[in-house]
Amino acid sequence: MTTYIVRRLLLMIPTLLGITIMVFAISRIAPGDPVSLSMGPGGQLDAARAADVRKARMALYGLDKPVPVQYAKWLGRVVRLDFGDSIKHHRPVINIIKERLPITLTLNIIAFVLIYAISLPLGVLAAVKHKKLFDRASSVVLFMLWSLPSMWVGQMLIGYFCGPTFKSWFPPAGLSSNYAEQLAFFPWLTDRLWHLVLPVFCLTYSGFAYLTKQVRAGMLDNLRADYVRTARAKGLSNWVVVFRHAFRNSVIPVITIVATLLPAMLGGSVIIESIFSVPGMGLLAFEAVTTRDYNVVMAVATIGGVLNLIGLLLGDIAYAVVDPRISFESAE
Amino acid sequence: MNQQMQKKPDWGLSYGELVWREFFKSRLNAACLIFIVFLFAVAVLAPFLANDKPFVIRIDGRLHFPIFANLSASDYSVFLAAIVGLTQLRLIRRNRRKIEPSIRSDVLWRQVTISIAVILIGTVSAFIFVPRRLDATDYKSMIVSGKASGAIFAPVPYGYGRTDLKSREQPPNREHWLGTDDVGSDVLCRLIHGSRISLSVGFVAVGISSVIGIIIGAILGYFGGGVDFAGMRIVEIMMAVPTFFLIITIVAFFPRSLLNIMIIIGITSWTEDARFIRAEFFRLRRQDFVRAAVSLGLPLRSILFRHMLPNGIAPVLVNATFGIAGAIFIESALSFLGFGVAPPTPSWGQMLSLGVSTTGRFLWWLTLFPGLAIFFTVLTYNLVGEGLRDAIDPRLRKAE
Amino acid sequence: MSENGDLLSIEHLSVEFFTEDGAAKAVQDVSLKIRKGKTFALVGESGCGKSVTALSIMRLIPEPPGKITSGKIIFKGSDLLSLTEKQMRRIRGDKIAMVFQEPMTSLNPVYTVGEQIVEAIELHQKKTAEQAWADAVEMLQKVGIADPQQRVVEYPHQMSGGMRQRVMVAMAISCRPALLIADEPTTALDVTIQAQMLDLLDHLQKEIGMSILLITHDLGIVAERANEVAVMYASRIAEVAGSDALFAEPLHPYTQGLLKSLPRLGLSVKRLPTISGTVPDPLHFPAGCKFHPRCPIGCNDKRCQTVEPELRKVDWWGKDPTLQNCERYVACWYAPGYET
Repeated sequence: MTTYIVRRLLLMIPTLLGITIMVFAISRIAPGDPVSLSMGPGGQLDAARAADVRKARMALYGLDKPVPVQYAKWLGRVVRLDFGDSIKHHRPVINIIKERLPITLTLNIIAFVLIYAISLPLGVLAAVKHKKLFDRASSVVLFMLWSLPSMWVGQMLIGYFCGPTFKSWFPPAGLSSNYAEQLAFFPWLTDRLWHLVLPVFCLTYSGFAYLTKQVRAGMLDNLRADYVRTARAKGLSNWVVVFRHAFRNSVIPVITIVATLLPAMLGGSVIIESIFSVPGMGLLAFEAVTTRDYNVVMAVATIGGVLNLIGLLLGDIAYAVVDPRISFESAE
Repeated sequence: MNQQMQKKPDWGLSYGELVWREFFKSRLNAACLIFIVFLFAVAVLAPFLANDKPFVIRIDGRLHFPIFANLSASDYSVFLAAIVGLTQLRLIRRNRRKIEPSIRSDVLWRQVTISIAVILIGTVSAFIFVPRRLDATDYKSMIVSGKASGAIFAPVPYGYGRTDLKSREQPPNREHWLGTDDVGSDVLCRLIHGSRISLSVGFVAVGISSVIGIIIGAILGYFGGGVDFAGMRIVEIMMAVPTFFLIITIVAFFPRSLLNIMIIIGITSWTEDARFIRAEFFRLRRQDFVRAAVSLGLPLRSILFRHMLPNGIAPVLVNATFGIAGAIFIESALSFLGFGVAPPTPSWGQMLSLGVSTTGRFLWWLTLFPGLAIFFTVLTYNLVGEGLRDAIDPRLRKAE
Repeated sequence: MSENGDLLSIEHLSVEFFTEDGAAKAVQDVSLKIRKGKTFALVGESGCGKSVTALSIMRLIPEPPGKITSGKIIFKGSDLLSLTEKQMRRIRGDKIAMVFQEPMTSLNPVYTVGEQIVEAIELHQKKTAEQAWADAVEMLQKVGIADPQQRVVEYPHQMSGGMRQRVMVAMAISCRPALLIADEPTTALDVTIQAQMLDLLDHLQKEIGMSILLITHDLGIVAERANEVAVMYASRIAEVAGSDALFAEPLHPYTQGLLKSLPRLGLSVKRLPTISGTVPDPLHFPAGCKFHPRCPIGCNDKRCQTVEPELRKVDWWGKDPTLQNCERYVACWYAPGYET
C-alpha cells in the first residue's frame, strides 16, 4: 500500500508544476503587460512616481528578463508561499488566504459529510425498491435538484427566507451576526451554524442529487451480479446480501466520485459565497476578479488546484483501502 | 423498369436510426425535444418576437419596414445557421433513403463540413458587410402623436437597447407582462433575446470542447504508451484546477466579450470528452477491423476519423448534450457574477443578479423568471442527455 | 408419489418470465425424481430451461420478471414451493447447495475466500468463529486446494478460474448438504481442469453421501458421471432414463439426433449428421410437440403438429435387460411403449 501512495505522490509533482505553468502562462498570454495591470487604475495618479514604481516593479518581477526565467523566479516565490501583495488589501496575499481558507474548507467539509450521509442510504433504498413508487418519485426529484442552478436557488432562498419581503428565518449575509463577538461559546456556535445553514444547503443539494444517482446505479448493477446470487444461494437474508455484499462493492466507485464532486464544490463556493457574503476563498476569488487583483487571482487558482489534488489523493488512498484488488496489485 | 427503381431499397436500420427510435419510445424525451425546438425557434425569431420597432408602419403615406431594415449582422448569421441546419436535417433524411450505407458517413462528413464552412463564411461576411444601424426613431410616440399610422408591432413590443428610467423595477403588469428590470427594459423581451446568448454559448462552447477533446483523446487512445503517459499528465493538469476557478482566472485577465466567453468555456471543458474518446479508442484499437485497416496501409487520418471515431462517438454525444446544459449554466453563473456578457446584451444570468436590488429589495420577478428559463433549459438538455444515454445503452447490449 | 430413496421430487413444475414482449414459458410441466446418493444429470441446449429448473428448486428465480406458476417440489416430505422465505433460507446452503457456472464472477471480490466460506458455516451451524475458520480450511483441503492455510485468507482475484470453482464447491459443501446442484460446473474451465473438477465431485459425493443434480449440455460428462439423465428441449422434458440405457437406446427423436451428431472415435464419415432447424423462440413456441418442426417423424404427422405429448412412463422396450435399472419416461407419440 505504501508503494501505491508514494507512487501517487510522485505523480502529483509534475501535475503541481503543470498547474503553476498553466496559471503563469495565463497571466502572461493576457493582453497588456503585467506591471501596468498590477498597478491598476490608480497607477495614473502621479505620472512621475508611476514611472519610478513601474521601473522598480519591472526589475522586481524580472520582467526585463526572458519568460522562463520569470517563471522560475515566480515559482521560487510560490514555493515559499509568497504570492506577492494584494492590490486591493495592501497585504501579503498569503495572509489573506490564511484567513479565508479555513472558512471555505469548513463549508465544503460539512457539505461533503452531509452529501455522503444522505446519499448512501437514499441510493441504497432506491435501488432496493427499484421501480416502486419511492424509486420513481425520488429519481424525478433528484433529477430536478441536479438541474437547478445554484445561484437561482441561493437568490430565491435569500429573497424568500432572509429578507423583509417574505420570511425572515435566516440571516441574509455573513458568517456571524454583528453582536457575535460578545456571546459566550455555545450561543456563538449556534449563531454561526444558523448563518451556515443556507450556504451549506446550496453547496449540498446538487452534489447529493448526483451522488445518490450514482449510488443507486452502482447498487442496481451489483444487485444483479453473480456473486449476489451465490450469496442468496447460501441462505443469507436479503438485508445481509444488500449491505454486506452489494453495498460493499458499490461503495468503491462512489469514492472515486470525490474526483468530480470536489472541484464542482470548490467552483460552486465562488457563487455561493458571493451570494451569501461568506468571507471565504470563493468570495476572495470573486472580489479579486472584479477588482483585477491579479496576484490574488493567481494565488487562488494555484491553491485551488493544490487543494483539489490533495482531495484527489485522499480519495485515491481511500479507494486503495476499500478495494483489496488495488492494494495487492501494487504490493506485488 | 421505373417501378423497380422507385421501390425503396431495404438496407435495414442504421445505428443512428435505431438510437433515434429507442429515444422516441419515451414521451418525456419527445416532449423535451419539442421544448428544445421551441427554444431554438424563439432564439432564431427573436427580433420578430420582441422588438420596439414595428413590422410595418405608414409614415407620410409611404410604407416602412423598420424591423427588417434594422436586422443586425448577428441576426443574419443566426438566420443563416438556422437555414443551413434545417437543410442539413432534410439532407440526412434524404441520405437515409437514397444513399448506400457504406458511403453514407463520407457523404455526411462532407455535408457537415460544407455546412459549417457556409455558416462561418456567412457569419464573417455578415459582420463585415452588414452596417451597424442605430435607428433611434421612437415609433411609438409617432403613433401617439399621429405622425404615423397603420403599424403592426411584434408580440412583445419592446426592445432591449434603450433605457426607460420611468418604468424601472416594475412588477408584472399589463404593459410589461413579466415586469421590468433596473433600467426599465422589459423582462420578457430580454428573456427572449437572452435565449440567443444562452443557446449560442452552449453550442459553440461544446463544439470547441468536443473537437479539442476528440482530437486529443483519439491521439492518446490510439498511440498509447509514452504518448498516452505524457498526454494524460497534461489532461490531469487541466483537471487539477477546478473548472470554475480556471474560468474565472482566465476571465480576469482577458477582456469581456461573448466570443471570449464561448472560447474560454470551450477550452476548459474538453477533458471529459478526451477521457471518453481515449477509453473508447483503447477498446477499439484491439478490434480486428482496426487491425485490418492498419494492415491495408490506410492513412492515420482515415483510420482515426473514418473507422474508429464513428464507433466510439456515442459517449461523446451524450456528454455533449450534458455539456450544453453545463455551458449554459456556466455562462449564466459568469454573467450573474458580473464576469460574463455586459449589459445591454441580454443574459439570463445577468438578469438574475438584479433580483436583489442595491437597496435590498427583493424583486421576485427578476429572480423567478430568468431562473425558470435557465432551469428549464438546463433541465431539458439534461433529460435529453439521459434519454440519449438510455437509448444508446440497450442497443449496445443487444449488439453484444 | 412413492418415497423409496427419492430425495427430491419435482412435480409438474412450470415457470414463466413476463417481459415487455410477452410471457415466455421457460419451464413447462417438468417432473423428475432425484434419488439419494445418486447423480442426476439434466441435459439440454442453451435456453431449454434447465438452469431455470435448478434455480426453481432453490427458489432463486427473480420474482419481478419470473414466476413459478404451478407445480410442487417435494424435498424431505415438504413442498419447497409452499415454504415461507425464512424457512427456505434455512434450507439454502445447508440442505441444498448450488455451484454456479461462472467462477470468475460468482465470488465476491472484496472479501477473502475464507470469509465467504465462514459466512455460510456461521449462518447454518452453531460454531464459534475459530471452529468455523478451521472448518473452512478443512473444506479447502477437501476440494484439493494445496496450502489451504495460506489460501483461506486470499482474495478471489488472486486465484485461477479452476481454483475459484473449487472454492465455490468448498462453500457449497461446507454444511454437508443432502443435495448439491451443479449448474454447468465445468463449462467455463479448461479441458484439463474439467476432469479434475468432476473427479472431485464424485469423490465428495461418496464421502458426504449427497445427491448431485448436474446441469450440463455436454453429453460426454453425462455418459461418464451420471446415474440418471433427463433430456430437456424447449422448456419440456423429452426423455428420462438411466444413463447407460439412454446412450444405448435413446427413445426420443431429439435424443437420437443428439447422439448421432456426436463425433466418435473410429467413426469415419464425411459429414456428421445434424438436427436441422433451430431451437424455437420461447415467446413463440410451435403448436403440438415442440420438436416436431425438426423431427423426421413429426414434421409430417398431424398429431405431432397439434397435440403435445405428455411425459409418460414406459415399460422398457429394449435389447439388453441388464440396463433396466431405472424407470424410463418419454414424451413422444411414436416412442416405443408410449401408447399401450
